[in-house]
Amino acid sequence: MNGIAHTLLANSDAQAVNLALLMSALLFACGLVGFLSRRNMIIMFLCTELMFQAAALAMIAFGKVHHDVSGQVFVIFILTVAAAEAALALGLIVLLYRRRETLDSEAWSELKEA
Amino acid sequence: MDFAIPSLAILSTMTPPAALLAQAEGAVGSGLVLTIACAITAIALVFLMRPGPTGLRIAATVGGLAGFAILVVEVLKRAGGEEASLGTVFPLVFGFTALAGAVRMVTHPRPVFAALYFILVVIATAAMFLVLGAEFMAFALIIVYAGAILITYMFVLMLAQQSPVESEGAAWYDRVPREAGSAVLIGFVVLATLSEAYFSKSAQSFRADAAERTAVDGMANAWQRLDGMPKLLLETSQKAVAIDWAKTRAKDDKSPAPKVAEVVRDARGKAIRMMDDEASVEVRLADGSARSVLLPPELVPDNSRQIGVDLVSKYPAGLEIAGVVLLMALFGAVVLARKQIELGEDERRELAGMRRLTVDGESGGSGGLR
Repeated sequence: MNGIAHTLLANSDAQAVNLALLMSALLFACGLVGFLSRRNMIIMFLCTELMFQAAALAMIAFGKVHHDVSGQVFVIFILTVAAAEAALALGLIVLLYRRRETLDSEAWSELKEA
Repeated sequence: MDFAIPSLAILSTMTPPAALLAQAEGAVGSGLVLTIACAITAIALVFLMRPGPTGLRIAATVGGLAGFAILVVEVLKRAGGEEASLGTVFPLVFGFTALAGAVRMVTHPRPVFAALYFILVVIATAAMFLVLGAEFMAFALIIVYAGAILITYMFVLMLAQQSPVESEGAAWYDRVPREAGSAVLIGFVVLATLSEAYFSKSAQSFRADAAERTAVDGMANAWQRLDGMPKLLLETSQKAVAIDWAKTRAKDDKSPAPKVAEVVRDARGKAIRMMDDEASVEVRLADGSARSVLLPPELVPDNSRQIGVDLVSKYPAGLEIAGVVLLMALFGAVVLARKQIELGEDERRELAGMRRLTVDGESGGSGGLR
């Protein structure tokens, strides 16, 4: 092994990958905590976006480990799903807000109108 | 709450707990260090989530930073090799920014500020992508997330924000979290599991093996994507010939590099030949002579080209499905946002100039036919 392949295995890369994985775990945990404990519906969906970010970061880090761009291609799909989810979820939130005049998710805890 | 002041304080005192833990490591086993650091961070987060006195929140911030510092030191130690070099400074800074933004986003009582902090997280994550060599995805992330998705969130926040009746500003459901303790407990379990899965000895050596095993293959794959891009292949070999020409010509020779007429492909249509991690290509020059030229590593197809080729050659079905998902989301958003008109099947048929399905006197009309 020589030339460029050797520079691809530099030690700082392994450390960057480790840090990226740690960040992805921390961001995912933050997003999960926020989703579970915040009451505002918009913030709850913002926290799911945070978990998407964490997943994307892990994909890119593992793609770096395997010297493959497949991880980055998967991030394109994650972006697609995130965009679709944001469009639908925000439309639903606006509808729910018009019914109850509040963003509190507890207002819908019985899963029925009135 | 600002992170700047406590962070300075903790950075100066960062070494003692880390050194202490390094001593304790032999006694308790290194797997426990990560879990303990995760627990410290989690406990700090509980106090940050609840509204409380400023002193308590500052103490929680310092505690969280200490846990984070231990996590970083431990994780860097497990990556092995020499001391932290300049290469680790950037991921460290961006990672800290992302984490601070995420914590602030989860704890901030005002939704608009939470959305703004999320933009900070997106930008820091994009910078992390840059560090990991994913340039295209970094900018796509900023354009799609910070540019499009977050703007949509901002609009919905403005549409759905209640007028501030109370003098405190934020609504009570934004100030008081629901079951912060149990939520953080679940987050801690996930974090501890993930960090054990990512940074255990076996996972670490597996990653090192995989990196070593795939380094040559990855380089070969990157080169072989050129086979699918004939125009770029021709341009690249022209550049390689020019570089070769600049190296070998005599000093006072000012004549231009020979023109490449075509790239010779073998029986299976492959133009790139790999020798270990060096790629070469056989070209026919304009004067009719054929020669083999080495492709220097700086001419490898760039990140966005590699992604593009992979997207259409390896994952065409995924690309189609992504298109369908976006189309369905478009329809769904239109249906949700449209003003609801309550028309039954019969009315719609009448509007379209067709006859009614139900006879008069029968219970027809709205919702008559499902």
